[in-house]
Amino acid sequence: MAVSAEMALLIDVGSAWAKASVIGRVRGRWRLVAHAAQPTSWGATMLRSALVDQLTASADPRLAEHLDDLLAGANRIECHTARRLARLAIVAVSREISGSAARRAAEAAGWHVAEVVTLDDGRSLSDRLATLQAADVDAWLICGGFDGTRSPRALEAAAHVASARRSGGGPVVWAGVADLAGEVADLFEPDALTTVASPRPDARRDEPAPLRTRLGELLREIVTTEDHAHLASVAFPRAIGALAAASGLRILGVDIGARSATRALAETNGTVASRVHARGGLSGTVLVPGAAGRVARIAGDAGDEAAVADLLQTLRARPSTLPQTPEELSGTQAAARVQLGSLLEEGAVGPLDVVIGAGRTFAAAPHPAQAARMLLDGLRPIGITQLAVDAASVLGPLGSLDDDEIREGIALLGEDLLVPLGTAVVCRGGEPGRLAMRVTVHRPGWPILNPIEVRTGQLHVVALPRGQEAELIVEPAEGVNLGAARRSPRILANATGGSVGLILDARGIPIALPRRSDDRREVLAGWRDVLQREAAAGSERVA
Amino acid sequence: MSVVHRVRLPRDASPLVEVGHRVEPAEVLATRRAPRGGAAIPVALPLRKSAADAARFFTVRPGTLLDAGAVLAEDERGHQVRVVEACLFLGYDRDDGSALVAPLSGSEPILGHVRGEVVALDADAIELRVAGALVAGIGGSGGAVHGELRVAVREPAEELRAGMIDIGATGRIVVGGSRASAETLTRARAMGVSGIVLGGILDKELRDFETTQQRRREIGGVRGDFSVLLLEGFGKVGFDPGLFAWFKSHEGKVASLFGDEARLYVYDADPPPARRSLPRPGDRVIAHRRPHAGQGGELVRVLDRLHASASGVVARAGLVRFEDGHTAIVPLSNLEATEPLPGG
Repeated sequence: MAVSAEMALLIDVGSAWAKASVIGRVRGRWRLVAHAAQPTSWGATMLRSALVDQLTASADPRLAEHLDDLLAGANRIECHTARRLARLAIVAVSREISGSAARRAAEAAGWHVAEVVTLDDGRSLSDRLATLQAADVDAWLICGGFDGTRSPRALEAAAHVASARRSGGGPVVWAGVADLAGEVADLFEPDALTTVASPRPDARRDEPAPLRTRLGELLREIVTTEDHAHLASVAFPRAIGALAAASGLRILGVDIGARSATRALAETNGTVASRVHARGGLSGTVLVPGAAGRVARIAGDAGDEAAVADLLQTLRARPSTLPQTPEELSGTQAAARVQLGSLLEEGAVGPLDVVIGAGRTFAAAPHPAQAARMLLDGLRPIGITQLAVDAASVLGPLGSLDDDEIREGIALLGEDLLVPLGTAVVCRGGEPGRLAMRVTVHRPGWPILNPIEVRTGQLHVVALPRGQEAELIVEPAEGVNLGAARRSPRILANATGGSVGLILDARGIPIALPRRSDDRREVLAGWRDVLQREAAAGSERVA
Repeated sequence: MSVVHRVRLPRDASPLVEVGHRVEPAEVLATRRAPRGGAAIPVALPLRKSAADAARFFTVRPGTLLDAGAVLAEDERGHQVRVVEACLFLGYDRDDGSALVAPLSGSEPILGHVRGEVVALDADAIELRVAGALVAGIGGSGGAVHGELRVAVREPAEELRAGMIDIGATGRIVVGGSRASAETLTRARAMGVSGIVLGGILDKELRDFETTQQRRREIGGVRGDFSVLLLEGFGKVGFDPGLFAWFKSHEGKVASLFGDEARLYVYDADPPPARRSLPRPGDRVIAHRRPHAGQGGELVRVLDRLHASASGVVARAGLVRFEDGHTAIVPLSNLEATEPLPGG
C-alpha cells in the first residue's frame, strides 16, 4: 500500500549549525510538527534521523516505518550561508576618517576585510607594501580625499594597490575624490576599476550607502556564484519584508549566526533595508576592540575578563560547540548583546513595532527571558515593541521562496512561525531613582490594577501570557520619552503577550551600570532574576 | 603520508626552483626586491615645467617597477628624468613637482620553511609536497620556524613552566602541556627555542606576550623567529592523551611550525590521531568546552532523549567516562572522536 503524507522540510544550513523543521497537515492545518538542530558537520542523514525520531513519537503509527522515506521525498525549502568568505583589502588615506568609513561600509555589505592599510597607520612604506603584496583577496577598495579637493595622498593610496595587485588580480573600487577617478583608472587594466561616491565626502558627513550598495553588488558578482535567492543573507530579509507587508508593522529582524550577522529593517509596506555584517556573528566578537572587558562587564556572572577572553576565542575556534556551564552561557549571550549593539552602530532605527531575533543563540536560549534580554539589552528598542524569536529557524527557508509563496508560507504557518516573547516598553531619560514612567495595564476580563510606577534604572515584568492582549496607558515623567514626539502626557497602546510578558524597562539608552563591580553584579543579577522568575498570573516582578 | 604546502609569492617575485626540485626548510625558493622607504625625485624642475604641467610628461604609471636608469618622465623636447636606482613609482605631487618612489632593496629570499618537493609553480604560488604529517591547531602566533620536536612535560595535562625550558631546548620546537604563562614564553624565546606547541593557553597571556614582542620588534630588539601553536582550546586545556602520545613517539623528528596559520608539519611521521565529529558509543573522545575542556575519555552511550546541561542548553548528549575515572553527560557537539594510534 502506498503511504503518503503532506509535509515539507524547511532547512537552514549555517556555517556551524544546520536547522531543520518539518511542517505537515494536522487536522486540516499546516503545523510545525518537528524541529532539529545539529552541527552542520554531522551531515544530512543525521539531521533527518533526528527529525524521524521526533515524528515517530507523534505521527500516525501507520506512518512510523515510512517516515524516513516520506522525509526524503518531502518538498525541501532550503537556505544556506555563503560557502566562503569574500575577502577585501582596503587602502585609505587616513585610519580614522576614510579608513574606518570604508571598513564599516565593507563589513556592512558582507565582506570580510582581510587587510586595512592607511597612509597614517604608523607602518613604514615598505611594510605597507609588503602587507598588500602578501594579501590574498578577492577585491580591492581604495578610499580617501574630500570632494572638491585634489588629494595626492589619495592617488598615493591608489598607487599602493597598483603596485601590489597583479594584473587581473580582482576588481578595484575607487571610493575617493570623484575628480581623480580618471587618473586612478589609468593605474589599472581596462575595466578593472569601478568608481563610487566616497563614504566620507567631507570631514563631517558620512554617506556610506552608495559604497555599501556597490560592494554588495560586487559581492554577488564575483564571489557568490551560488543560487542567490537561497543565501540566508538574502532570504532572511525577504521573509522579514513579507512579514511586515502582511502585518502592516515596522519590523527589525536580526539573525546572529556563528560567522556573520544579518540585520533587516522592514517598513510597513514591505520594503526592506538589510545589511550583512561579515564579522557580526558570535565568532567575530573576539575581534571587537575591548570585547572581553565589555562582555565581562555586561554579563556580570561570566567570570573575569581573562576567562571571557578565552570564551570568545572558543566561540571563534569551535563555533559548533555549546556552552555547558551557566558562566559560559551568560558570556555567550552577553557576546550576542555586544554584536547586536554593533549592528545598530551606524544609526538608530527609530521606533519599531516588532523585533525578531534569529539564530542559534536565540533559539537555543534555555529560557525565553534570556532571548528577550539579548534583544532588549543589545538593541534597546525605544518605545513599545513586540519581541519574538524565530525559534524553529523557518524565516530563512521561507524567504528563499518566490514572493507569493513566502506570503502563503507565512499565512499557513500562522502561530507556529514565531515564538512571541511579549511586549517591551523602553524609555529614555530621567533622573536615577526617580519616577520614569507610570503604566496602567488593563487586560479585558481582569481586575484593573493600580498604575505601575517604574523608576529610572528599574525593570518591571507583568505577566501577560501568549495570546492575551492588554491596553496600556503610559505616562512618561518629565524628561523621559519613548522615542516619538507626543502631544499628550499619556500614550495609549496595545500590548500582546508572550512567554516573558509585558516588560517595562526604564534602564535608559544605553543602559547605565554601576561602576563598582559588586554593585554592578547585584544590579545585573536583579534584572536577570526579574525577567526569568516565573510570575503568578497577574503579579508583578520588579528589580 | 604527504601533504601539500603552498607558498604564496608576491608580485614580481622570481622563482629559483622548478617542479620536481627537492627543497629544505631554509632553502630559497624565490627572490624578490622589496620596496624600501619612500624618496622624492624632482620632475618639474629638471623638465623646466610648472608642477602641474609636468604631470603630462610621465612615461610610466604609478605602481610600475623601474630599473635603475629607466626613464620616469620625458617632455616634448626630449628632456628626461631618470631614476638612479631600481624603484617602485608611487605617485606624483602636483604641488611640489616631485615624484614619490620607493627604491627597491637588494634581492631578498623567499623561503618555504618546509622540506619537500616542488609539485606546482605559477606566478601566484609554489606548491610543495611534504613527506610527513600535518597537525592543525585552532590558533597560534608567529611566523614560520623549524626544529626538532622536544616533549617537555610528562603528562598531557601538565603545565609548561619556565623551569622546564633549558639549554637543551634551544633551536627546538617544544611540546608543552595544558598552558604556558607569558613568563614561560618569554623565557623560551630568550633561550632560543624555535616554537612551542601547547594544548591550551590563556588568550590574555598569549596577547600579553605578543604585545611585548611587538614592542621589542619596534625598537629592534627581536626578530620574528618564534612561534606558538595551540591545539585544543583557550584556557588551561590539556592535550588529547592520544595526540600527546603521538608527539612522544615522534620526539626528535624535525618539524616546521607556522604559528599564525596554526599548522605544524612533522617530517617522516605517521599520521596523528584523526579527529571526527559526531562520535559513536565506544569511541575515544576529547571534550572541548568547560568544565571538561581538553579531557579525554570514552563515549559510553548516547542518551535517547535530549539533555539539558548545567547551562540549561538542551542538546543531544552522551555519557562519557573520562580518563581520570569520573563520568559526565556531555553534549555531543562538544565532543570529537579521536582515532587510536596503530598498536596503541
